[in-house]
Amino acid sequence: MASASDPGPVDLAELRAAQPRFSGLESGHGACQGCGQALAARLVLEAAGPDVIVANATGCLEIFTTPWPLSAWNVAWIHSLFENVAAVASGIEAALKIQGRNTKVLAFAGDGGTFDIGFQALSGMLERNHDVLFVCFDNEAYMNTGIQRSGSTPLGAWTTTSPAGKTRQGKRHLKKDLLTIIAAHGIPYAATASVAYPSDLRSKVRRALSTEGPSFLLLHSPCPLGWGHDSSLTIAVDRLAVESGLFPLLELARGQVIGRMAIRTVRPVREYAELQSRFGHLLADSPEAHEGLEHLQAIADANIERYGLLASGPEPRDSEGADTVRRGGTRWA
Amino acid sequence: MGLENKGPDRADRVTPGGIAFPGTSLENRTGSWRLMRPLFETAPSPCHAVCPAQENIPDYLSLMARDEPRRAWEVLVSDNPMPAVTGRVCPHPCETDCHRGRFDAPVSIHSVERFLGDAALREGWPYPAIPPLGEDKVAVVGAGPAGLSCAYHLRRQGIRVSLFDQFPEAGGTCRIIPDYRLPSLVLSGEAERILGLGITFYPGKKLGRDVSLEELEADYAAVFLSPGRQRSRAFSVAHSVPANLHHGIDLLWTWKNVGALPRWDRVVIVGGGNTAIDLARTLLRTGTGEVHVVTDEEIPVDRESQKGWPMPAIAREVGLAIGEGVRIHAGRSIGRLLLREDRVVGVELVHALKELEAKSPVHRAFPGTETVLEADQVIPAVGQDLDSEGLERLLKSRDHLAVSNDGRVEGNERIFAGGDAVPGGGLVSAAIGSGHRIALKIGALLRGEGPSAVPALVPLPYSGLNLHYFDHGSSYEPMERAPGARNGFDEIETTGSSDLIRAEADRCLSCGHCLECDNCWVLCPDGAVLKTAGFGNLPVPYLFDYEYCKGCGLCARECPSGHIRMVPEE
Repeated sequence: MASASDPGPVDLAELRAAQPRFSGLESGHGACQGCGQALAARLVLEAAGPDVIVANATGCLEIFTTPWPLSAWNVAWIHSLFENVAAVASGIEAALKIQGRNTKVLAFAGDGGTFDIGFQALSGMLERNHDVLFVCFDNEAYMNTGIQRSGSTPLGAWTTTSPAGKTRQGKRHLKKDLLTIIAAHGIPYAATASVAYPSDLRSKVRRALSTEGPSFLLLHSPCPLGWGHDSSLTIAVDRLAVESGLFPLLELARGQVIGRMAIRTVRPVREYAELQSRFGHLLADSPEAHEGLEHLQAIADANIERYGLLASGPEPRDSEGADTVRRGGTRWA
Repeated sequence: MGLENKGPDRADRVTPGGIAFPGTSLENRTGSWRLMRPLFETAPSPCHAVCPAQENIPDYLSLMARDEPRRAWEVLVSDNPMPAVTGRVCPHPCETDCHRGRFDAPVSIHSVERFLGDAALREGWPYPAIPPLGEDKVAVVGAGPAGLSCAYHLRRQGIRVSLFDQFPEAGGTCRIIPDYRLPSLVLSGEAERILGLGITFYPGKKLGRDVSLEELEADYAAVFLSPGRQRSRAFSVAHSVPANLHHGIDLLWTWKNVGALPRWDRVVIVGGGNTAIDLARTLLRTGTGEVHVVTDEEIPVDRESQKGWPMPAIAREVGLAIGEGVRIHAGRSIGRLLLREDRVVGVELVHALKELEAKSPVHRAFPGTETVLEADQVIPAVGQDLDSEGLERLLKSRDHLAVSNDGRVEGNERIFAGGDAVPGGGLVSAAIGSGHRIALKIGALLRGEGPSAVPALVPLPYSGLNLHYFDHGSSYEPMERAPGARNGFDEIETTGSSDLIRAEADRCLSCGHCLECDNCWVLCPDGAVLKTAGFGNLPVPYLFDYEYCKGCGLCARECPSGHIRMVPEE
């Protein structure tokens, strides 16, 4: 039987150009193997289409896509400082408005550039009602500079600045509840998404862009290096983040929850922690470790309760049915 | 898509800083990072690996799921030319091994097989890939499933076939299967369509009586023997044989050919095979009052809880027989016939156990446990033997044809054998499979090709699937007549509708085969999976672009059907 892996005489460059999708992020970027963020950025642009301008804060995404003089971007793209991507995007949006152009503006930042360093610029952008989609690629630490804890790092996670040892079980503070802060701005659309649910992710991007005014997407993107999981497990890990309740998939309008991905079978947080070395110390046989893991479990339980995430029965769009495959790929339509 | 213009050559592209041209990262061949390489690789599915007829089940289920029944049938008959028959009579080990059975319920593969077979008979779809006839001639003896299959697969290689059978019609032992299980028209329909492919059929020609092995050897380049087992095994209990003894298989022949059977009040059938069960149900339908089946074997249930030796009859048919009122005395044997003169008035049953000892079955009876069952007829259905007429030279003193691994009768270069006449037979699908395999061997022999090893199929394990991507759903339940409504010889199970069968085929998890679900294409963080749909006519749905694949393994992990394998880079 002919090897299905041997392309033979196929012109791959031609085939690449003929792909039936818009590839805003080209191959050849320097992201690590299994990078959740690289996948997430391509999926966001696939839904947003070519007529966009992207402002990108400092961070992994900026670094691995633009090693001078190369660029992996197939869209208009500008690099801002760490703290001001929302301000740069605001300016672009205002200029386009004056010119009467419909090009969509996206701001990309990591969790460092969103939760911490870029937060005041983001808040200002939302408050001034700029028609920008702000996408936060949330990998829960400063990965680019060597895994330092951020406001988004979850409780108990190991980073180089929240080590696990005799006195501390990893990070001792909670993950900042950014979504509630965003909700308090009363913007027309905000959502959370996960790379483990690409169809859901892309439909949220389309919804955000078709909503006038500022919109916000918190996009959970596993980092194999910083989280300490095998590069092949990126999707499996993020699926468990959703199915355990630790990262609920929600949609908000004017601060109100209008959509939630229900969980049909809730998975224990332990299963999520077991795949990642950043939580390895919580699996030790000690009272502190036990307490740390139970605390994370309690947070997941509280999310499920707070957002009403339990599915009463099989629903086509719950956490198990949302990505059911279909022969011939119609799942992704 | 992307932007057409990737900018000027690198030398001119070195800007003072701050600017880069779109998509130029393609210069950066990240494939050089790779330690592991993903491969699209079709792995055998468990159904395919276990199918005695070697059907490539996921391939035809996939086509049926896409609403292409004719192409599905063409894939199916490239292995098994008689799907309407096997869809009805095979105990379908494929469904026992179906991985979907561990997920919710196995795919009802036999329902799809049967639907496709019936559709081809109804629509008259021609068998595909039949080449013009060449010069080589092969003789096939016995037109049962093995002989028909061998003739068909020889014909597909352009070989002329002369098919001999002692009976006036083709079909072999399948011809005695009652109509409620296999309608005669279905069997003759498929058999006649195979014969119609340009196979010369000699009905009424018996080996040893009308034609000799030596003549066949002289006239044909090779001979395939599939005479089946036609001779009832001798029956006696403690040296007594009742007068007016009828053998089970003879009664089934009588019913199919004459259409009438005696009516008894109480019958005891001895044996645990399909003949015993088929006859028991036939007698109940033709007016016999009570039918008892006595066997030293166990009623077949799930494999784990079986303590003794299960009855060789198809488990499902045993269950249906019990539902219809057949009384099965399992774990019993006949200790004595109660005779008045030479007429049976009853039998003495004794507790018995058949079990494995040193890998061969042993029979034990336990004195002191006797009971008496009154009956006016005892019918042995204790198995059939090979009719040795014409085969004496090959059989020597054995009761079967001894064959080597490649199907050759030992010590003979050009004589092959298969079906029930060789050890390990018993299923229609196994007979079809043996005819197929040996037809390929004979074809290779005639073309002067050397022996080609057929590797054993190692099925994809259950753990090789990513079940997250499948949703539980309801399965197709074949429509069955209730026991009360089974008064005639109408079929018990019916053929499903096109819509239901298509939906059932779509439940296949496609173990080891590509579902074309786009998972790898969508989820690759490096855009290194390229979709080929609409680009030329490539034989595969996706290709890896190894210039950029970093070998993260995500595609293999997230492939729902285990079609991607990671191998170390050299």
